[in-house]
Amino acid sequence: MIIDGRVHLGEGLFGQRQTVTDLLERMDRLQIDRAILTPLRPQHYHLASENERVADAVRNRPDRFLGVCRVDPWQGADAVTELRRSVRDLGLRGVYLNPWEENFPINDEIVHPVVREAARLGVPVLINAGQVRVSHPTQVADLARQFPEVRFIAANGGNLNISGMLLSEARAMLDACPNVVIETSGTYREDFLEEVMAEVGPDRVVFASGTPYYDQEFEMERVRCAHLGEQEKMAMWSGTLRQLYQWD
Amino acid sequence: MSRQEIIDSHTHVDKVGWFDPPETIIRLLDEAKVDRAIIMTYVDAPGRTSDALEYIAESCARYPDRLIGYARMNPGYGQQAIDMFEHAIRHYGMKGLKLHPVSYLQHPASPQTVAIVQKAAELNTPVLFHCGDEELSLPLQIARLAELVPDARIILGHCGGYFHTKDAIRVAQRHANIYLETSAMPYPAMIRQAVESIGAHRVLYASDGPGCDPTIEVRKVRLAGLSPDEEHQLFFENIDSLLRLAGRKEAQP
Repeated sequence: MIIDGRVHLGEGLFGQRQTVTDLLERMDRLQIDRAILTPLRPQHYHLASENERVADAVRNRPDRFLGVCRVDPWQGADAVTELRRSVRDLGLRGVYLNPWEENFPINDEIVHPVVREAARLGVPVLINAGQVRVSHPTQVADLARQFPEVRFIAANGGNLNISGMLLSEARAMLDACPNVVIETSGTYREDFLEEVMAEVGPDRVVFASGTPYYDQEFEMERVRCAHLGEQEKMAMWSGTLRQLYQWD
Repeated sequence: MSRQEIIDSHTHVDKVGWFDPPETIIRLLDEAKVDRAIIMTYVDAPGRTSDALEYIAESCARYPDRLIGYARMNPGYGQQAIDMFEHAIRHYGMKGLKLHPVSYLQHPASPQTVAIVQKAAELNTPVLFHCGDEELSLPLQIARLAELVPDARIILGHCGGYFHTKDAIRVAQRHANIYLETSAMPYPAMIRQAVESIGAHRVLYASDGPGCDPTIEVRKVRLAGLSPDEEHQLFFENIDSLLRLAGRKEAQP
């Protein structure tokens, strides 16, 4: 089974867009069985209706989709309320934080109420990681260490640096924080994913394309071409995600 | 020709840093069915090791049909670096200059960089830059060098990285001596956009292997939706033309 661990829906403020119809068509062509959906930041700036859009998609195709809400920690108590509503009323099963687009350092105290609520609800926290000023792997680790009971998923392999100079920090984050896994999305470099699987653990890397930021078809190649055994690849394709989101 | 020939324009071999002997890249090139690759060290010369250029020369000698050498230099050593670079071209048969400003901490348009790049232009060798999202390696910064040394053929490795691909395309539109290289950056659509904006003749396939897998990097180019002729230009023709000129004084651009 293949699960795409991060797919964004909607019409984004920053020019990206993706509809359920386009997505399902492509998933069928690429033989992706399921996807974890979360909103793009919309042009109208309001995340609540976008969380509802994700919930609708899940309601229509529960066999293919699981939903994760998106909240903006700058909204304070309203962000916590929206997370609770999304999980309890809309049936979403995680929370996505994008510190770059919502403009907050991921280890800032404003994030704590949201993470505490995720802990109460028992859902994982998906982070757009690797942005140097707001979600550097040291900052993600700083947050994750304070909430050892919460499971965190760091997008972009936990780092965005085409020199490879952040790989050691992404590795240090994984070594220090057993509650963090990384996504394959956009990673520099592929042998880092192989290293993490071998040396940190086979349950620490999950497939995610991050479409439409990244190309879903191309992102699959990172797992397909990895120099790993079949069992390890199955963990990357879906096993670890199913366990993280308790998705049978 | 039964199969499209492929040259990988940017890979690494070194005994320090990320330890990658030539056998590592050869194995990945075989898997990817890539015929030849340009190799360079992770360290600059002069620098951490006294024989970085010799290690590249020896690797190329061990696999003469597969590997082509570039000299990765630190322009901060002034005339010494220029002399070592010229020696590598004339006596080790190397074909190009690699510069990684984040490694040696100089602006790409610094006087010492201009001097060594002028030597590269004189020797007709391409200059491959690390070009990503970090200070000293931004496309608009490297463009200033392209303006100062219009005879140099300057390749923007990684095409601007994660966040500066559009800037890389912009500066290539403005400067005819800038080439774009596809390695590591994660967007097949940007390859197509580059070809549409500046033409297929100035875009080069590369992997940045062995860290980045040449098989995956070849696939990225194939997903860009280019014509067979355009693909052939990216995979082979463009870098082949640049390499044929290297070291030949008579053929100025």
